[in-house]
Amino acid sequence: MHTLPQQLANGLLLGSMYGLIAIGYTMVYGIVQLINFAHGEIFMTGAFGALTVYVYILPDGTSMWAAVPLMLIGGGIVSVLVAVGAERFAYRPLRQAPRLAPLITAIGLSLTLQELVRNFYPGADKSRAFPSLDATHSIGSVDITDADIFLVCAAIVCMSSLAWFVRKSRTGRAMQATAQDPDTAQLMGIDTNRIIVVAFAIGGFFAAVAALSYGLKYGNIDYRMGFLMGLKAFTAAVMGGIGNIYGAMLGGVVLGIAETLASAYISNIPGMQQLGGQSWANVWAFVLLILVLLFRPQGLLGERVADRA
Amino acid sequence: MTETKSPATPPADATPTTATRGLIGLPLPAARALLLLGGIATAASAFLAWTWTSDFPGDLTVYGYPGGLQWLTFVAGVLTALFALASYGVRGLRWLLPARNNAPLVLTALGGFGVTWFTAIEIAAKLGGLANWEPGTYIAVVASLIPVIGAFALPQEAGESTKETLKAYIAKPEAIPAPQPIAPWIQRLIITIVAALGLGVFAYGIDTQYGEIFIGFLIVLVFAVWALHTAGLLDRFSAMVADNRSFTLAMGFLAAIAFPLTQTDDHYANIGVNILIFGTVALGLNIVVGLAGLLDLGYVAFLGVGAYTAALVSGSEFSRFSGVQFPFWAAALAGAAASLIFGVLIGAPTLRLRGDYLAIVTLGFGEIFRLAVNNMDGVSGPDITNGPNGIPSIPDLKLFGFNFGEAHDLGGFTIGRFANYYLLMVLVMALVVTVYRRAADSRIGRSWIAIREDETAATAMGINGFRVKLIAFALGASLAGLAGTVSAHVTYNVVPNPYQFAGAAPPNSAFLLAAVVLGGMGTVSGPILGAALLYLLPEKLVFLQDKSLLAFGIALILLMRFRPEGIIANRRRQLEFHETGQLDVPETTTLSDEPAVTKAGA
Amino acid sequence: MRGTHRLPPGRKCLRKGLIVRKRSLVILTSVLTTGALTLTACGSRDNGNKSGGSSSGTTLTIGVDAPLSGENSTTGLGIQYGVQIAVDDANKNNWVPGVKFKVKALDDKAQPATGQSNATALVGDASVVGAVGPLNSGVAQSMQQVFNSANMVEISPSNTNPTLTQGKDWQTNKSRPYKTYFRTATTDALQGSFAADYAWNGLKKKKAFVVDDKQTYGAGLAGIFNGAFKKLGGSIAGTDHVNTGDTDFSSLVTKIKASGADMVYYGGQYDESEKITKQLKGAKVNIPLMGGDGMYATTYIQTAGQAAEGDLATSVGVPADTLPAAKSFIATYKSKGYKGDYGAYGAYSYDAATAIIKAVKAVKDANGGKLPASDQLRSKVVDAVQKSDFDGITGKVSFDQYGDTQNKQLTVYQVKGGKWVAVKTGTFNG
Repeated sequence: MHTLPQQLANGLLLGSMYGLIAIGYTMVYGIVQLINFAHGEIFMTGAFGALTVYVYILPDGTSMWAAVPLMLIGGGIVSVLVAVGAERFAYRPLRQAPRLAPLITAIGLSLTLQELVRNFYPGADKSRAFPSLDATHSIGSVDITDADIFLVCAAIVCMSSLAWFVRKSRTGRAMQATAQDPDTAQLMGIDTNRIIVVAFAIGGFFAAVAALSYGLKYGNIDYRMGFLMGLKAFTAAVMGGIGNIYGAMLGGVVLGIAETLASAYISNIPGMQQLGGQSWANVWAFVLLILVLLFRPQGLLGERVADRA
Repeated sequence: MTETKSPATPPADATPTTATRGLIGLPLPAARALLLLGGIATAASAFLAWTWTSDFPGDLTVYGYPGGLQWLTFVAGVLTALFALASYGVRGLRWLLPARNNAPLVLTALGGFGVTWFTAIEIAAKLGGLANWEPGTYIAVVASLIPVIGAFALPQEAGESTKETLKAYIAKPEAIPAPQPIAPWIQRLIITIVAALGLGVFAYGIDTQYGEIFIGFLIVLVFAVWALHTAGLLDRFSAMVADNRSFTLAMGFLAAIAFPLTQTDDHYANIGVNILIFGTVALGLNIVVGLAGLLDLGYVAFLGVGAYTAALVSGSEFSRFSGVQFPFWAAALAGAAASLIFGVLIGAPTLRLRGDYLAIVTLGFGEIFRLAVNNMDGVSGPDITNGPNGIPSIPDLKLFGFNFGEAHDLGGFTIGRFANYYLLMVLVMALVVTVYRRAADSRIGRSWIAIREDETAATAMGINGFRVKLIAFALGASLAGLAGTVSAHVTYNVVPNPYQFAGAAPPNSAFLLAAVVLGGMGTVSGPILGAALLYLLPEKLVFLQDKSLLAFGIALILLMRFRPEGIIANRRRQLEFHETGQLDVPETTTLSDEPAVTKAGA
Repeated sequence: MRGTHRLPPGRKCLRKGLIVRKRSLVILTSVLTTGALTLTACGSRDNGNKSGGSSSGTTLTIGVDAPLSGENSTTGLGIQYGVQIAVDDANKNNWVPGVKFKVKALDDKAQPATGQSNATALVGDASVVGAVGPLNSGVAQSMQQVFNSANMVEISPSNTNPTLTQGKDWQTNKSRPYKTYFRTATTDALQGSFAADYAWNGLKKKKAFVVDDKQTYGAGLAGIFNGAFKKLGGSIAGTDHVNTGDTDFSSLVTKIKASGADMVYYGGQYDESEKITKQLKGAKVNIPLMGGDGMYATTYIQTAGQAAEGDLATSVGVPADTLPAAKSFIATYKSKGYKGDYGAYGAYSYDAATAIIKAVKAVKDANGGKLPASDQLRSKVVDAVQKSDFDGITGKVSFDQYGDTQNKQLTVYQVKGGKWVAVKTGTFNG
């Protein structure tokens, strides 16, 4: 078990990434009760936006200190534009439609975004190399890279500023109001359309942060990266209590750690030798989700309705 | 000369307002003449050569008779002309335009225009330049534009903006005069003709050899059906169907059986059987989603359970139980039962969850099924399913000495292997449709709808929500399992890959859900139509090569954008809301219900 | 009633004009129909001359079935264009005088049911003489029987599952289930053993960590390597399985690091192995990763970058740069700007299509220089493919009694200086 600290760190890092993406699901869901299945693809476009800045805009040999913020801006712009565009042109016309119609639109949108990138981004039909930050630091028995540090810092900064924004800012409080009761909120003079756009935009930006971390950590991106990450992030959002921003982060971390530990140690349990390993990890992740929901049907932090945003 | 308002009083049967005029300033007779003559000219232009080389699919190089896409232009032209004649009030055709409105004329004209210009542009694009147009192409391009000009010259009450006016042109009128009572035998005759026509259209669509003609087919079909809808003919037909429901079902069934007899090539029976399998599963999902309002994102797993069960007891030498060979009825029952058990196992703990929590849990179960099956090969899991290698060499079915694997001669027709399975699936589909209709009309079915609309209220009225939902889940699951048992034999093998959440080809859970929503939730024909469309679109879009998925994704978005309530459902809801004398249709009230627009259960 | 209504003069004019236009249209139409029929006749004859070339121009079709869209399309397109180049070469060099070939490529989206429907489509098309594909073994299972019933040859460039040709008991009692199914790819058995041999004897590795992607190809390959490496005396430090599409392998990397393995063997495609090697080297575990021909692609090096250095892959046949034909294949593929990746299976597809084309020639020659009737052509081509014996671009192309390639030549490649370099070529007869 001497690998436990390292595996916990692996899980925490993976989970932070899930959490950042899950914010997008949870904010949109909290306000319009829409599962934006295309959010994984918004994450993916953010990665390609960041890569575009690095490969096609910045001169060769730019220091990563300068490049990373610029890539974040590039990725953020792309993700936010895609997210807001999806809201404006795909989801908004369907706001009065039957509840499942936007879900099908989301599936179509997801396919469209993937295929757009695959067909029209140079070299994107295969994995594309991404500048990675792989200088390693050892803390005790745990090795982490610069990219991991970036990821953790970004997650903390993002979460705390979002918490401040939702609680303190005028728009944030309007979001809470809209989440609780859109009709009343509108009567109180809140422009709910604007609030929905803001929710999509914040979700998109967080996805871009996650996407940049992903690229820096794994050193490559491809057009399919959003599918599985999106699915996991959605799971995380539900596990944490969908609609709750802290829940999304907590769900992400729990899911990431559970997956990593399952992959690493289940096969050490007597009688379960064959049920361990990475190919079963997703099974255990979903089993955990089901267990959580059985005992807490509203998710881990689901009851704090007041914090829904 | 100033083109002022015509001093002539508009004809009595045109739109009533006097101050109407067309977007294009032409007098009414001219507009009608343009429509009629343009329609005829469009149809005639199909007899000319449109290009010089047979490199363009369908060989459009022949003078004297239409070929390929030209047939579609021809049909559209004839339709336009027929509607134009009907607008003249020609005896015998007046029934085409009961409301005397513009929309059918506009839409058929647009259909002809669309398919002709699509073909012309496609010729130019594919062969490289307008030089590949023959004089016939120019004639066709001009001829198909004429009815459009005529159509928009028809007098129409102007809206607030041009956009509104355009909308008014293609709108269905509020009131459509009630039809003359028709003798029952005539009604049945009409239904028979429509069923035969439907079979013909469907067979034509499936048989389209290349993507271009399928697109053309869709253009003409969409505009033609839309035109019939706005003319009020579809509503009339629905009313007729409602009066002769059993007869219609029988005719539909007969038409479905007749399909393989119209085919010379087993390939289309193969497509047909795949569509039927996909459609059956979609119908099963419709019970869960459409009737009970439970969002299930892992439904394809039940198809997989059925398929794997059938494979394990099929006697395949690769099966874990290779000595066991159940007769088909037993295998089908076993598959359905296994799916039912899985449905209950999954449902029992999770159905207490509401709305979207249930969605993610079912999604999780679907993934668990696929991953578990993929791992149970004795290396990284118990040895049951043969893991990624799947279970191949599943033998063909034999029922009462009838070998499904061989071609049989039946009164001059050859019924190939896939046609055999197709006919079997028609039976299964008939069974599923019956179960669906009986269930929907039963006490349980009404409870489902009550739960779907408002769970709290339904529970307060004494409905045991959990039990009712569990029944929906189990019933839906066992129907999918039943379809799975056939599908295992059709493809000779089962592998874990197809049973995923989302993929590029049916069946997968996302596609199944899309088939239900696209076709129309809570209806019988909707999911089947949706399944056919979703199966055929990727298949026929192959000519777009690696852009086919992109086109498919965009098509999904657009379909939902313009038809969010599904292809079938909206038409029936309109029947409910707008009809004057035909509300006393017992079945439609249950079958046409829209899913809750509210957030109930979300 | 309405017709008798008096029209204002302007309108009358317009209406008249319309009739005139219509009349001229009718005249134009009739002139065209009667007159231009001859023109079209000329046109089609002209067309025939252009494409036919020789007087008895028959065009036969070679079907392709592979995933051409979505996930596996990069590899699938490599198969399609591999066949396309073979067909172009055949037409250009007039390999079969009087017969032209064309390609009909169908997309199976890696789905068995779709693949089967493509198989029935190819069987139903009378001009199709044989098919190349599919990519996935699971798809092949649903297609084999369809082609077998139609007596049509199917050659897969990539299926590696031994049971496809040698039956369920391929280890003990081989028997061929379908006589029309062939493959130019080798089975997992050969490659896995060859790799184990090189790892033990060539690299002197003692402890291997074996990972696979739980797909037919990868799991089979990893299983064979595992057994063969142990038989040679090596020890297995651990095994794990991943899912295709996984991106985070940090847990796996930690496990490998803790196991003290001195190499990793990966059974699967480059999509996952390029990420594993990158994350492995990122965690400062500098041991080589070895795999099969599924990761022998330039993409692997491009994506993994520096981390790929020292990694190994086995591939069937002799290195491409020792055969001029193979070099020209790669040059053609690149110059035509074809999409997809020829690396993994493009060359096998070329050889598969060539085997069909050569079989058509053999059938034609044996039949006194003309093609037999279409119902016999297919079954005769199957027999002729069975007797194939020529030098392809992956080496010698000939099939044994099970339909497997007899090309037992294998090459180990290693990434050196950002390129795959052949380090050992040999035959494996184990």
